[in-house]
Amino acid sequence: MSHQQQSFWTKYIFSTDHKTIGKQYLFFGLFFLLWGGLQAMVIRWQQIYIGVEVPLVGKLIWPDSGGILTPDIYNQLITMHGTIMLFWAITPLLTGAFGNFVVPLQIGARDMAFPVLNMLSFWVFFLSGGVLLGSHFLKTGPSASGWTAYPPLSTPVGGIPGWGQTMWILSLVLMGVAVILGAINFVTTVIRLRAPGMGFFKMPLTVWGFWLSSILNAVFVPIIAAGLIFLLLDNVLGTQFFIAGSKATVKGGDPLLYQHVFWLFGHPEVYILILPVWGIVSDLLATFSRKPAFGYKATVVSMCTVTALSGLVWGHHMYVTGMSPLLGKSFMFLTLLISIPTSIFFLNWIGTMWKGSLRFDVPMLFTMSIVFVFGLGGLTGLYLATVTSDMYLHDSMFLVGHFHYTLAASVFMASFAGIYFWFPKMFGRLMDPLLGKIHFWVSFLCLNYVFFNMIVVGYAGQHRRLFDPAVYDFIKPLMPLNKMISMFAFALGLVQLLFFFNFFRSLFRGKKADRNPWKAATLEWTLDHPIPHGNFQGEVVVKTGPHEYSHPDFKGRDWIAQTEELPKQ
Amino acid sequence: MARYLKIIFISAAAAVFLMGPAHAGIWYLPFPEDISLNGWRIDRVIKYIDVVITIAFGLVLAALIYFIFRYRARPGHRAVYDRGDRPVNILATVCLGLLVFFSIDLVIEKMSFHDLKEVFWNFPRGANVLKVEIMPQQFAWNFRYAGGDGEFSTEDDIVAPLNQMHVPVDTPVVVQMAPYDVVHAFYVANLRIKQDAVPGTVTTFWFQATKKGVYEIACSALCGIGHTNMRGFLTVESREDFQRWLAGLGTETSSEEDVWAAEETAGGILTKWGWKWQAKSQ
Repeated sequence: MSHQQQSFWTKYIFSTDHKTIGKQYLFFGLFFLLWGGLQAMVIRWQQIYIGVEVPLVGKLIWPDSGGILTPDIYNQLITMHGTIMLFWAITPLLTGAFGNFVVPLQIGARDMAFPVLNMLSFWVFFLSGGVLLGSHFLKTGPSASGWTAYPPLSTPVGGIPGWGQTMWILSLVLMGVAVILGAINFVTTVIRLRAPGMGFFKMPLTVWGFWLSSILNAVFVPIIAAGLIFLLLDNVLGTQFFIAGSKATVKGGDPLLYQHVFWLFGHPEVYILILPVWGIVSDLLATFSRKPAFGYKATVVSMCTVTALSGLVWGHHMYVTGMSPLLGKSFMFLTLLISIPTSIFFLNWIGTMWKGSLRFDVPMLFTMSIVFVFGLGGLTGLYLATVTSDMYLHDSMFLVGHFHYTLAASVFMASFAGIYFWFPKMFGRLMDPLLGKIHFWVSFLCLNYVFFNMIVVGYAGQHRRLFDPAVYDFIKPLMPLNKMISMFAFALGLVQLLFFFNFFRSLFRGKKADRNPWKAATLEWTLDHPIPHGNFQGEVVVKTGPHEYSHPDFKGRDWIAQTEELPKQ
Repeated sequence: MARYLKIIFISAAAAVFLMGPAHAGIWYLPFPEDISLNGWRIDRVIKYIDVVITIAFGLVLAALIYFIFRYRARPGHRAVYDRGDRPVNILATVCLGLLVFFSIDLVIEKMSFHDLKEVFWNFPRGANVLKVEIMPQQFAWNFRYAGGDGEFSTEDDIVAPLNQMHVPVDTPVVVQMAPYDVVHAFYVANLRIKQDAVPGTVTTFWFQATKKGVYEIACSALCGIGHTNMRGFLTVESREDFQRWLAGLGTETSSEEDVWAAEETAGGILTKWGWKWQAKSQ
C-alpha cells in the first residue's frame, strides 16, 4: 500500500482512510444528536405548555400553526426523534465513529479490509441522512406513524397525508445499505486483518463488541430492508402486503407480518447498539481501575450468548397482539434467559473495579455511570419480558423510561466516554476535564431524573405518545411530575451545549496530548498523533492481552503495552 | 474548599432528586385502583420483580459506592493484579448464572405462564357470560351487544352509543375485537388490561369488573392524529341497571354520535359492522 500526498478532496472529503471516515461519522452523528435532541426538547415543551407557541423556533418552523404544536406535528416529532436518535445519531456515533476509528487501530491493521467500500458506506449514509432531513421540508411534514411505522397507519389507509412516509422508508433503506456495507467491512477486517499474535482472545473487548454488533447488522438489517420495501410498495404502488381489515378493498395482507419482520430486526437492533457499549465499558473500566478485565473470557462468552439469543426473542414486543400463550411462553423464556449472560458480565464489571486503583478521569465517570444506568435499564426489562406484567406496562411511559435507560442513557454515556477517551488520539488534544466533569454530573443527574420518573408515571398508568396526557382523568394527578420531567429534560439539553463548547474549543485550543495520556495498553496508544494513512510503520507483533495493568513483576510503570512481553514468572 | 463544594453538590443533588416526586405528591410507585377480579395477578408479578430488582440493583449500587471510596487511586495504593479467571471465579460465575435462572427466570416464567394459561386465556363459558364485540376506528370506540338471541350478526344486535361501554358488575365479560382501519389498543388502567386490535385479526380477551363506577378507556397504540382523544368510558353497574340501559338502546341506534358514524359511511360499512362470534372462546 502506498499513501502519497493527497489533495484536500481525497484527504478530507472522499477519503478512504478509516480514521478520517471515523471523524466524518463523528461530526455527522453529533449533528443528528443535536437535531434529535432539539426535537426531544420540543416534545417535552408540549407536555408542559399545551397549545403555547414553541419559543425561538416555533414560528419559523411551523408558520401555518403560528408556532403552536398540533397533534399531527407532535406525531411527526415523536416519529422523527425516535428514528433520528436510533439510526442517525447512535449508529454513526458508535459503529460509525468509534468502530471505524478504533477497530483497525486496536487490532493492528493498516486500514479496513475494503477502504473504498468504507468510503462508499459513509456517503450512502450521508445521502440517507439528507433524504430524512429533506422530508422535514415537505409541506405535509415528515412521517408521523411512529418510529416503528406500523401499517396500516403507515400506508395510505392510515390517513396521514403526503410523502413523508415514503421518504422515511427510502432514507431507512439507504441507511440499511450503508450499514450492511459497513458490517461486511467490519466482519472481514476483524477476521482477516488482525496483526500477528492478535488472537481472538487477545482482542480488546471493544473490538469484540463492534464485531458481534456487525455480525448482527449483516444478518438482520437485510430483513428490515426487505420489509420496508414491501411497505414502500404498499405506499406507492397500491399493493396490500400489510393492509387488512374493513378498509382493505381486497382482503390480502397481514399487518402482523410487518410487526414480526420489524421486530425480528428491531430486537437485534437494540443489541447492535448496546454490544459496542458493553465492550467499551469493559475496556475502560479495566484501564481506569488499573486492573486486567475481570473474567475476560466469561465476558466474551456472555456477549456471544446475547448475540445468539438476540435473534430469538423478538416476540416479546408483540405479547398483546393476541399472541397465543404457548408462543408467549417460549418468547418469555428465551427473553428471560438473557438475564443470565447479562448478570455475568455485570459481575465481571464489578470484579474489574474490585481491589483496583480507580482513577476518576472524565471517561471513567461516564463509564461508571453506565454500570448504574444500564443496571436500571436492564433490570426494568424484566417487567416487559414477562407476558402478564407486559399486559399492563406495554406501550406505557414505563416502556419509554426503560428503553431510554438502555438506549439513550447507556449509549450516549458510552458515546461521551468514548469521545473524551479517544479525543486525544483523534485530534491530538485533550478535552477540558473541568467542563467535562460538570457536563457529566449535570447530565447524569438530569437524565436519571427524567428517565426514572418516566418509569414512575408509566407505573402509574400513563400510556405513551400522548399529545395532551391531561385528557385522561387518571393521568391528571401525574401532570406535575410530567412537568418536572420536562424541566429536567431542558436542563439536560442545555448542558449538552457545554459539551459542544468543550468539544469545539478543545479541537483548536485544547491542551496538547502526549502519545498515551490515559496510560492504556491497547495498540492505538502506541502511535503518535497524527497517525499517518496506513497507521503502523513496520510490522506490529502482539505479545500480550489487552489489559495488562499493575502486573506485580513489571517494575517502573503499571501497564504493559500489547506489543511488549509479559515478565517471566 | 473542594471538599465542601463536593458536599454541597451532593446534598443539592439529593434534594433535587427527591423534590420531583414530592412536588407531585408521589413518594411511592402508585398503581391506579384495581377494579378487576384478576388484576392482582398482574400486580403480584410486578411486585415480585420489584423485589428482585431492588435487591439486584441495591447490590450493584452498594458495590459501586463502596469501591469508589475504598479503591480510589491515591498515593501508596496499588491495584491488585487479578484476571478473575481462576477456578473459583468460574465457579462463582456458574453459581450466579444458576441463581439468576432458578430464583428469577423460572419463578417469573412459572408465575406468569400459570396466570396466562389458567386465567387470562381461559375464557369463561356459560349463560352468565356477557359477550361484547368492539370495533375501534380512527378515533372512537364502537361496542356491539348480541341482543336477545345471544348471537352476533343477527337482526337484534345492539350497537351502543359511540365510546360508551356498559358492563354489569361481577360478571365475566368476554370481548372480541377487530379494528376498522389501523392498529388500536384497548387499554383500561383500572382493569390492568391492554389488548391490541390488529386489522384482519379478531383478538379475544376477558375481564370481570368488581366495582361499580365509570372508568376511562384509552387507545394505547399510536393510531394517527386523534390518538390522544380516542377516549371511551366503561360504566360498571348493577345487572338491573345494565339491562335497563341495554333495553333503552333498542336495535336501531339513533343517538347523536351515531349520526356522525352513519354519515361517515355512505356505503353503510360502519352501521353493518360485526362478525360471527369466533368459536375458540365460546
